[in-house]
Amino acid sequence: MSSQQIPSSLRDIFADTLEISSDEVTPELSMESAETWDSFRHLQLILSIEDEYGVQFDPQKIPELTTVAKVQQALEQKGATL
Amino acid sequence: MESEVDRQEVRRALSDAVRDEDAHAVLRHAQELLRSGKPADTMFCASAFGKMKDALVKQAACRPLKTFVVRSVTVEPILPFLTVESVLAGYILDIEIGGYGAYMDEMLTPQSSLDRSHAELVLVLLDLEEISGRLPDLCATGLGTGVEAEIAESIARVGQMLRSYRSRNAGRLVLQGCVVPDNTSLGPVGDGNLKYGLVNAVKELNRQMLAVCTTVPDCVFFDVDEIAARYGRANWRDARLFLASRLPISAGAFETYARGVVRTMSVLFRAPRKVLCTDLDNTLWGGVLGEDGAHGILTGSAFPGNCYLEYQRYLKQLGARGILLALVSKNNEADVEEAFQLRAADLAVQLDTFVAKKIGWTEKSDALRALANDLSLGLDSFVFVDDNPTECEAIRRYLPEVAVVQAPADKPWELVPMLADKWFFDSAAITEDDVNRSKEYEAQAQRDALRDITTSRDEFLQSLGIICTFISAVDAPLARSVQLLAKTNQFNLTTRRHSSTEVEHFASTAGGQAVAVRVRDRFGDAGVVGLALVSDQFVIDSLLLSCRVIGRGIETALLSFVAQRAAKMGGKWLIGEFIETKKNAPCADFYPQHGFERVAELDGAGSIFYRLDLTERMPKSPAWLTIEGDPTYEFAADTIVTS
Repeated sequence: MSSQQIPSSLRDIFADTLEISSDEVTPELSMESAETWDSFRHLQLILSIEDEYGVQFDPQKIPELTTVAKVQQALEQKGATL
Repeated sequence: MESEVDRQEVRRALSDAVRDEDAHAVLRHAQELLRSGKPADTMFCASAFGKMKDALVKQAACRPLKTFVVRSVTVEPILPFLTVESVLAGYILDIEIGGYGAYMDEMLTPQSSLDRSHAELVLVLLDLEEISGRLPDLCATGLGTGVEAEIAESIARVGQMLRSYRSRNAGRLVLQGCVVPDNTSLGPVGDGNLKYGLVNAVKELNRQMLAVCTTVPDCVFFDVDEIAARYGRANWRDARLFLASRLPISAGAFETYARGVVRTMSVLFRAPRKVLCTDLDNTLWGGVLGEDGAHGILTGSAFPGNCYLEYQRYLKQLGARGILLALVSKNNEADVEEAFQLRAADLAVQLDTFVAKKIGWTEKSDALRALANDLSLGLDSFVFVDDNPTECEAIRRYLPEVAVVQAPADKPWELVPMLADKWFFDSAAITEDDVNRSKEYEAQAQRDALRDITTSRDEFLQSLGIICTFISAVDAPLARSVQLLAKTNQFNLTTRRHSSTEVEHFASTAGGQAVAVRVRDRFGDAGVVGLALVSDQFVIDSLLLSCRVIGRGIETALLSFVAQRAAKMGGKWLIGEFIETKKNAPCADFYPQHGFERVAELDGAGSIFYRLDLTERMPKSPAWLTIEGDPTYEFAADTIVTS
């Protein structure tokens, strides 16, 4: 999956929340690899994504959404229009 | 901002403004971007503001505040919203967050991380669970067993927390109340009817918490329940995220919540505006007096006249708590007087409800300048209400310090909600002096009339029969002393905005002084209008006088009073300090005029120092003043130990 496939709205949320440039937002970007992606930013990310796409994640699923690709996949499963 | 393309455009403009370090452009673009309501845009703005701290302070006069958040819940996701709302209100919060379970320790233990933070602002954000965790179970029956005792115990704990912090620190405090819970087991009908159901118990808890706040200096209650109710209680909390992450507020409410916090804490750092200038035609009443005549203007009990009546009542209530009301209207004065007479029964205000009137055909910006001069107040304490967009724009352009509210001429019912939404009259405490202020301005008009018939200045002042009463600043009362420090700009030698704790410190230090002066004359009581704070080294840290009483020698009497007390406490000299501001030119030569000499070697950043040898010269109070209060008498408050 190339970074081209990340919709720009999702890319913006990651870039704004993690305070990185949108070029750095790749499907492989993860909590491990991104320095600013700590547990609080994670909660912030999830809240912004829920707001943008009108979905709610199961709290038990939230800690598992640790890469951009996983977030995108979960959104697709929820039927969100990306 | 209509499309995604526009939004990206604004984001780019904002990034460019950050790169150019242009604080005003950053604020302008941020305000535009935030209209999207997207949380990501709030984070984008928070991040931009974070990079611009210095520029925001230097260019946009934002005030940096070291802030500590004492909490029992998750607040981190709310912080970008708090950053954004505070910058838009003129503050840059440098935020440190306490531990989840550490709030007791932080508030009660000396040298806690809270103490070490030296915070200027402390937000105490606890949940009902921590404040009164047993309440939900005790309220289950609604019968009241143990409810009052639990509330009393909770309040005692909260009070102890606040007082303990206050005994060690001067940071200003915001105590958040509890949100009245929904989804209670008694249901809305049971809870609405039972005094000891959870809903009414939490309301009582909030009422007692605010009462505690009034007993702690520099502490304000944050009525979060009022904000939650406005927003809609049902959507205030996201149970999923509260139970999973202890996040007390749903993501959609972050902005509303953050704005509520900032509006509340603002009263601790900013004085309310003092004057409301209102237009007449299509503002105070409907229609145009010059065209419709006194009987044609709309006001009274029938719609739409009652919309204007609502506004008049609102003004009258503002007047009652000390906001000065003024009329600024382009009309013939005689017509206006006639209208007020003929329509008195349909009006909630009379002509004399207004302490000043500028009715005529001069430009309104000139009228406002003249009013500021008449009332001896800065234009930054003015609010201007007018329906005419051209007049409003002219004031915004020529007098940017004035707050402008454009009355919606075609929707007169919206004016009161519009005014109520503004922060500029917010105040957590109303003093007796506020309430008496309007009367004092009437007395001033009588004094001016007397001055016109007496010949010399001394004769005039003598005829006023002025009496100065000196009291401890702690008994002024203290809230009034702090208010004077916060509000006085023109006759204020150092413009230090001390907190009550700091005033108490001057009063309680051996050799220090905290003196207030109350002034009355044959026309009225001006209340407590002057203050001096002197350190134990006989340095005058602060000396100020309300502009209402300048020019009557009261400043000299105040200086004389503290000089005599300093001498009595063994002082051989007095050191005077002057810090120039944009507004305090009227007192620039105060110390030289009273025989002080420059001491250039003491001068520091912005401060100019003067010295007076008390063994050679003692400042004397002017002969026309009668002095009450004995300088050799030890004020009871001098011995107060604040801890």
